[in-house]
Amino acid sequence: MHTVEETIDVAVPVSTAYNQWTQFKSFPRFASVVTKVEQLRPNLTHWVIRLGPVRRDFVAEIVEQVPDSHVVWRSMDRTSRHRGEVTFRATAPDRTSITVRLRVEPKGVRGRLAHASGVTRRVLRAELGHFKDFIEGLGQECGTWRGVIRGGHVQPSEPAPPRSRVAHWPVG
Amino acid sequence: MKQPPSEEPEESLTVTPPKKWAAGVPAVTHALEYSLEETSVLRAGRTLLTMNQVDGIDCPGCAWADPSPGHRHRNEYCENGAKHINDEATTRRITAEFFRRHSVTELGRRSDLWLNQQGRLTEPMVKRPDSDHYEPISWHDALGLLAGELKALDSPDEAVFYTSGRVSNEAAFVLQLFARSFGTNNLPDCSNMCHESSGFALHETLGTGKGTVSLEDLHHADLIFLVGQNPGSNHPRQLSALEHAKGNGARIIAVNPLPEAGLLRFKNPQNVRGVAGHGVRIADRFLHIRSGGDLALFQGLNRLLLEAEDARPGTVLAHDFIRSNTSGFEEFARHVRGIAWEDVLTATGLTRKEIEKVRDEVLRSERVIVCWAMGVTQQRHAVPTIREIVNFLLLRGNLGRAGAGACPVRGHSNVQGDRTMGIWERMPDSFLDALQQEFGFDPPRAHGLDSVNAIRAMHEGRIKVFLGVAGNFVRAAPDSAVTEDAMRRCDLTAHISTKLNRSHTVCGRTALILPTLGRTERDIQATGEQFVTVENSMSEVHTSRGRLEPASSVLLSEVAILCRLARRTLEGRTSIPWDTFESDYGAIRDRISHIVPGLHDFNRRVVRPGGIRLPNPVNEGVYPTPVGKALFTCNAWEMSHAPEGHLLLQTLRSHDQWNTIPYTENDRYRGIHGSRRVVLVNPQDVTRLGLEKGQRVDLVSVWDGGAERRTEGFEVVPYPTTPGCAAAYYPETNVLLPLDSVAEISNQPTAKGIVVRLEPTVMSTV
Repeated sequence: MHTVEETIDVAVPVSTAYNQWTQFKSFPRFASVVTKVEQLRPNLTHWVIRLGPVRRDFVAEIVEQVPDSHVVWRSMDRTSRHRGEVTFRATAPDRTSITVRLRVEPKGVRGRLAHASGVTRRVLRAELGHFKDFIEGLGQECGTWRGVIRGGHVQPSEPAPPRSRVAHWPVG
Repeated sequence: MKQPPSEEPEESLTVTPPKKWAAGVPAVTHALEYSLEETSVLRAGRTLLTMNQVDGIDCPGCAWADPSPGHRHRNEYCENGAKHINDEATTRRITAEFFRRHSVTELGRRSDLWLNQQGRLTEPMVKRPDSDHYEPISWHDALGLLAGELKALDSPDEAVFYTSGRVSNEAAFVLQLFARSFGTNNLPDCSNMCHESSGFALHETLGTGKGTVSLEDLHHADLIFLVGQNPGSNHPRQLSALEHAKGNGARIIAVNPLPEAGLLRFKNPQNVRGVAGHGVRIADRFLHIRSGGDLALFQGLNRLLLEAEDARPGTVLAHDFIRSNTSGFEEFARHVRGIAWEDVLTATGLTRKEIEKVRDEVLRSERVIVCWAMGVTQQRHAVPTIREIVNFLLLRGNLGRAGAGACPVRGHSNVQGDRTMGIWERMPDSFLDALQQEFGFDPPRAHGLDSVNAIRAMHEGRIKVFLGVAGNFVRAAPDSAVTEDAMRRCDLTAHISTKLNRSHTVCGRTALILPTLGRTERDIQATGEQFVTVENSMSEVHTSRGRLEPASSVLLSEVAILCRLARRTLEGRTSIPWDTFESDYGAIRDRISHIVPGLHDFNRRVVRPGGIRLPNPVNEGVYPTPVGKALFTCNAWEMSHAPEGHLLLQTLRSHDQWNTIPYTENDRYRGIHGSRRVVLVNPQDVTRLGLEKGQRVDLVSVWDGGAERRTEGFEVVPYPTTPGCAAAYYPETNVLLPLDSVAEISNQPTAKGIVVRLEPTVMSTV
């Protein structure tokens, strides 16, 4: 495992930065390498990444998520294994420091080369810059999910969130 | 295309060693061979290449989920699905001439296989009380006859409306709406006989009746249990998901009395390794369990996990999860610590060491999924067994987490959707209130009859009219002699069907055959071409659009038949717009969206690629039980016991069979060819019981009160079943299953664990 860490300051309140970041499906709007994100459930996401000629897709489990504080995830596929953590820290009422820490396990020659040549770090730095431009430009988040995830288990922010309102009766 | 056979096949039994792998190239050749016997190259091509594709035909074969759009193969089906869809797409036709040639009595002597091979039903037929032949009847008169009988009943509760899981959401919704506006909740369905136990157990413990996992979870689990199921024959596309999981490093433990080929190895015909190589091993560990021992196994395993936690506190159980999300842990733990190992080992037929090895696998695995099917649900203690599986999953937080959860593997393609649509004899008041508000009538509140109770009521003469929508109730139901007698006591039996089956030949004094469109066929109504929707085993609701020209121009869709029947029966008693529903299925979906929670905005969302994924509350951190938490339960059981000289029989399907319908007399994976009248017995038992390989025996089941049920002339085949356990084919051996032999709580017939003895057949009776 190799660790890459990058930090950026954004000029929005911490809740705005957190809320926007956790609208994972909107990543392709600002992130140049993210083609598509599906949020299958609060704790399960599917990502499609394209970097030059390389296309990767992976499923990521969100292991921890605490509003205005941090998100921890890990990829679940054997081929592109990594863990990540993003933390949000209010440095002023309208400023937030965002730190992303990635622990990657490069696979194959191409993966090791990419990592050794610093591609992972450069991409991460660039994408944080894109996020900064995006959220500062918007000024406010385009959605919110304020639930908590601990140990991979969801703790909803209300007793019966909309997605739990489905048919409950027994199915034979 | 071959002509339908005029005579029954006359083959003799040959037995070859059971296969140790499933699928591969033979699966492709068998699928194509059968398809081309039934239909033309063009039609076969059209069905196969649109099967399970976005905007294509949903395979009616099973309820397994499709991969996400963009991740599907060009050939996204299995051997059994290909056979099934082309069995429906057959170009063979049954016309009035067929029924002139064959009396009902004669057809009643024909095999399931022969009846199915005659082809598609093409026009409405009636058998009148004074006749032994079906004869043509117009749609107007047929529906008038049925409506007239319904209206003449003393009470709406003298009618039963049965649904098979092939029925679309739209037809199912219309059917329950009709039954309830007519005034009864008598809505038995095939679920009552396949996964009713799963629904009850999951609803009680988790507050939701559906499985919690998706394909993504299966693909990324660390450890997968396959309990009491045979994926190679009954849901072969599950093997692709298991192959994917193994590619990600998953381990698999199979638990079954028979070492089925699909549990051992899979050769995927869509990749090089499957075609030219050895494929992929499925089960890393196979537990050759005694029939009915699953509850004891999971209880033993749970005790071992508790003891592992004692040895290394804080490292085994998901304490935070248990504290925050569950109730009843302490009582459960006390109960499980008190179980006797001797009982566990006797019930399972396993050694303690084998169970300890499973514990070690569990301890090494962060994400665990348990899949199960009818080897579990059709046991007497099925509901407690599934509750114990839930206990097992809860202990280490394997619910509500990615890559973990409970996976009841359902059979019929829309069996889950039909229940979501309200096909249940005891729907909750919230659903009935919503119906009342939407349609302005008072739905009956008293619970109706499930399948077992419907048979009982028919047998006692309390039911006068039986309407079956799809399926083959007579053959699917237990206690064949009692069920057949029950059907014959009805004044009128009517079936909405695509093909001929025994339910048409064992009928009421008056009988109707109402032929309908198959799912493969174009469905054009007044507002244009329609599609229907279905819900798979993983709660994904999506469209299915037929592509073929209908088998006959006078076929009506299931929705059309039901809407016309409702209109004729109710004659303006309600303001339900049956005409609009018939002409535009979107109008039905609009109403569904007002009534079924989670299907809001149904029409707009369902046409998106992949359709609608219905969330499971458990994955949202919500447990809609009365206490708002998942429940640990204490599950007691009695040992399955076969007296000296007896065996525990399980009924099962062959590989060449779809539900009640065999396609041939062969069961390739188990090495059985040319005959289905076989009983698979462990070689030790063959010797112990003084039998010989190939000997003909009668199977005699034993039940409380001494009543015996017998079926004659089965050949003994030594087979690696668990000692003390035997197996024979369904539906031929349903005759052995007493109507009263049901799973506790769910009332599901117990087609596993039937106590039988094998008596040498007296040759003159064969």
